[in-house]
Amino acid sequence: MIEFTPEVANTVITTASYVAAGAAMMAGMGPGIGMGFAAGKATSAVRRQPEARGPIITTMLLGQVISASTGIYSLVIAIFLIYGI
Amino acid sequence: MKNIDDPQKLQKEILKITYLISLLPIISSLLFGEYDITLGFVFGLVIATLLLRLKYNNIIRALSMEEDSAEKFIRNRYFIEYALYFVVLFSAAKNANLNFLAAAVGLFMIKFVVILMSIVDLLKDTFQRKFDEYK
Repeated sequence: MIEFTPEVANTVITTASYVAAGAAMMAGMGPGIGMGFAAGKATSAVRRQPEARGPIITTMLLGQVISASTGIYSLVIAIFLIYGI
Repeated sequence: MKNIDDPQKLQKEILKITYLISLLPIISSLLFGEYDITLGFVFGLVIATLLLRLKYNNIIRALSMEEDSAEKFIRNRYFIEYALYFVVLFSAAKNANLNFLAAAVGLFMIKFVVILMSIVDLLKDTFQRKFDEYK
């Protein structure tokens, strides 16, 4: 079995946490793409049915507010990993 | 939700409920003398309120665009918002006077309230349907 000195073990842990933080940040890209797609569809929906503008805006706002939270979760995890708060 | 047709009224309703619920952690942290939690929470809550307003303005602007440009516009704005969230969380992590977790919870408060309102609506609808069936 390989035994690491504490310095080497610390370096490995720090490197792994930085890599994990980077992977967590990748999760922030998904909501952006999804939100953009939803906004495009909402635009064409408003053009088709202008009288439904209010409910469309409300639904889009609430959807975007909720979908942004997954990005913030990943950001919180990444900051936790980097700074070890 | 009552004001589904009027986004501005709905925003006001959401913010009102958010502030009412937020009074509980703010007052309790003040009573226990944890001022860093109060500051962090208020910081997160204020930024979340401003970003909700910004999101609404972005949506209104996007609706006057073509489908492709609206898609790109909202995507780019999301990444700007994401950078703002990062700045808020980073400053809460670096500053000893701000509690990091409280700032994160403050940022999430509006989202929690929206989910809570949806659950309450769902339960209300279910009970109403059952009540009507029973009658």
